[in-house]
Amino acid sequence: MSDIILLAHPTFGVLGILASVWVFVEALNASEANASRVRIAAFAVAGCIVLAWALGGYWYTVYYGAEKAIILKGPWPWAHNFVMETKEHLFFIALILALYLPIAAAANVARNRGARAVVMTVAAFIALNGLAIEGAGAIVNYGVKVAFVHTGGEGAE
Amino acid sequence: MDATPTAADKNADTLKGPAASFGLAAAIAILFNTALAWVEDAYEPLNAYMTSLSGHQWLTHGFADATVFIALGYFFTGRVRISGTRLSVLLAAASIVGGGGLALWFALT
Repeated sequence: MSDIILLAHPTFGVLGILASVWVFVEALNASEANASRVRIAAFAVAGCIVLAWALGGYWYTVYYGAEKAIILKGPWPWAHNFVMETKEHLFFIALILALYLPIAAAANVARNRGARAVVMTVAAFIALNGLAIEGAGAIVNYGVKVAFVHTGGEGAE
Repeated sequence: MDATPTAADKNADTLKGPAASFGLAAAIAILFNTALAWVEDAYEPLNAYMTSLSGHQWLTHGFADATVFIALGYFFTGRVRISGTRLSVLLAAASIVGGGGLALWFALT
């Protein structure tokens, strides 16, 4: 079960990134015709990022302690001390922006160029943050892997 | 096509209501998130206290961020009118300073 949660976390993160690119493109071409799509896409971003946060948060608080101990014993302790510590707090920035996005998108992006600029900026930063967080997750995962390689798999069970 | 903004265009740049208030709240909450991470990491008693509140400091940190965002968003509602361009710059700056501040802190400590 923990593996499903662990895999679902970045999956919803990627879906959130894709949805934020969708919001960006819809807002870039904002008109009365696609106003509802901007709002739907903004809610899709919020939904995906909240799910990524809930799943990742559950896994982090329940299961990550054991992996952290393995990483710190391995040759890449910075995978936790720097990368994971940054990632776990960076996620809140993406979460705050994702929760705000549907609120910003509720304004008329077709008529209000200020609202359009805000929606595009927020969507772009969710995507950039998301990509950084996905990359950080891969480094943390690799930190565990190199620790196992270094110790000959001790503690893998 | 004339690119010079008309009075109507300028007016259309202004945001009010929840889009303005929660946008400003989001920028503040992002900076609060980074500041709280610094203080938590530097001051162990706060870290321990936050852990005691929810069982994990990260959960308490998330609740604190959400509380700041929602509370300030409601507080600013009806009180804030802001240019969308200015709010975009503010949110971008908060994201860059907040994210960069986190990376720099954990790289140096």
